[in-house]
Amino acid sequence: MKRYRMFILVAVVLAPCMLRAQQVHIDVEASEFRKMRVAMPAYAGPGDLTGQLWTVCARDFAITGLFEVIAPQGYVNPGPLGEIQPGSLKDWTLIGADYVVAATVSRQGQTVLFRVQMIEISTGNVIERTTYTSGLQTMERAVHAFMNHMLKEKFALAPLFSSKIACIKKVKGAKQLHVMWCDGTGGTTIKGGGSLVLNPAWSPDGKRIALVTYYRNNPDLYVFDTVSFRLNLLAGLKGINITPAFDPGGTRLAVTQSSDGNPEIYLMNLDGSGRTRLTNSWATDTSPSFSPDGRSVVFCSSRAGNPHIFLLDLATRKVTRLTYEGKYNTEPVFSPRGDLVAFSHLAGDGKYRIGLVRPDGSKFRVLPGSGLSDEAPAFSPDGRLIAFAAANGNIYVTDLLGMAAVPVTTGGGFSEPAWSPFLK
Amino acid sequence: MRNRSLVLCSMIAIGVALMLTGCPKKTLQPAATEVSQPRPPEATAPTPGEPTMQMESGVAGTSGTAPLSSAIEQARAAFEGGDVYFEYDSFDLTAQAKQVLAEKAAFLNTHPGIKVSVEGHCDERGTQEYNLALGERRAKAAQEYLVFLGINAQRLSTVSYGEERPVDPAGNEEAWAKNRRAHFVITQG
Repeated sequence: MKRYRMFILVAVVLAPCMLRAQQVHIDVEASEFRKMRVAMPAYAGPGDLTGQLWTVCARDFAITGLFEVIAPQGYVNPGPLGEIQPGSLKDWTLIGADYVVAATVSRQGQTVLFRVQMIEISTGNVIERTTYTSGLQTMERAVHAFMNHMLKEKFALAPLFSSKIACIKKVKGAKQLHVMWCDGTGGTTIKGGGSLVLNPAWSPDGKRIALVTYYRNNPDLYVFDTVSFRLNLLAGLKGINITPAFDPGGTRLAVTQSSDGNPEIYLMNLDGSGRTRLTNSWATDTSPSFSPDGRSVVFCSSRAGNPHIFLLDLATRKVTRLTYEGKYNTEPVFSPRGDLVAFSHLAGDGKYRIGLVRPDGSKFRVLPGSGLSDEAPAFSPDGRLIAFAAANGNIYVTDLLGMAAVPVTTGGGFSEPAWSPFLK
Repeated sequence: MRNRSLVLCSMIAIGVALMLTGCPKKTLQPAATEVSQPRPPEATAPTPGEPTMQMESGVAGTSGTAPLSSAIEQARAAFEGGDVYFEYDSFDLTAQAKQVLAEKAAFLNTHPGIKVSVEGHCDERGTQEYNLALGERRAKAAQEYLVFLGINAQRLSTVSYGEERPVDPAGNEEAWAKNRRAHFVITQG
């Protein structure tokens, strides 16, 4: 545990200089730190279940940003392996594994049993030996329970796989709200609200999603209740009512509206009352996001000519420019840790990348991402990871060093990820 | 006249539907992959500040076309067909844009009963959120110039679609130039 915490500390301190090197050539091995390597032999059990669960588990290890799954081609024993024999650890030492995970999957009626074992190779310690159960239709939840337990017990980390990603999915020309677990499993496209739904944003309690729909042929702001499935109009002024963001207390929303002439940012209560104008510029001001202490808002503004990222102190109304690199920085989001702002940065090669900057404007850097063109960042609730939408229409998750971006959707048509808080 | 009765009929129909269903709020339903076409609005109880469904159907009803001579139809088609184009990441009106808008103003002057929705659109190169705001500024720029040319602002509404409704999805310079536009839709008259 202690060793691991030191690892994280080193990673954070070294991150900026490491990244400078990585932008030219990503060489994880050459760095002082590396991801932990996990060997995952095939699971024992019925083939229709084991393959699916193995795939989810491998993706989940990668999403955490902490692990790298060793390609099974090189395994001494590729499995199926329901359990690791004590004498066989050298098989995994040989391929450079830090951990090995074996599992037996079985089915009892509509219930799936996932008996999983995770061993630390260097010590031989058993990290996990637990049976998780789930319904047949929600098999991924057994893997999520394992991952959450392992992250908590071994690494003192929050339950990442209790969080969801809301995004927009294009189906037959219509754009609709789509909600899935943060690894892309258990996805549901939510019908209704018209044929064009945009800009989803979670409430801090995870029960509501603010979004924009053209239900009334105008971009209006609604709040969608994920429990009752009700959709209530919150702001429908003439012009745009877009890019909502809840404040950390969940009682107010910041939103872009153009009712006073050009797009400005306003603050309002959840019943639409107490509307206050936050920005005042000839330029386009949009895409607000609150700092976790609720004292400031980052937003995008073209007041410097091109769109850049700015920070607004809510008490003093002082505005500070955060980005100077490039000519097009938009869609900022504040990290839940408060130490970073992520945004869509137009790079010199004409592609977008996820940019990062400190709230004081220092340490600008760019994540390698998918290598395609990456937009619309969203921080995980613990601030360790970022989801974004790539040009192939899929949602990816990356750590803040950007050593591997993992696609969590397939088939394309996805945009605008919004990461939920940890859900009960 | 026919328009008015259409509106009246649809208002009554919606009113009856409201009474029959009595559904308090709009709801969303989860669906696997099947997505319905844009549906008629579901019943919603009027709440303060929330326009009622009657208003919405009123707008829809007025878009029905009455019999018109072909000359008028052609003029209307030309009006709706001709877009105003913009430079990349700009909502400034070019000389050409102003000329097109002068033609729009001339048409609106000779057809005083017509109301128009000015749609602002962007190419897909910008980011989605910023483009929604940029599209709004393009629609506003076109609207304001028409007002400057003497058209009553009450006849001109605006709506931004950002990068959501490209006319040409090709993804090259030619397509992008066509997509950066203000588009005009007759909503009444």
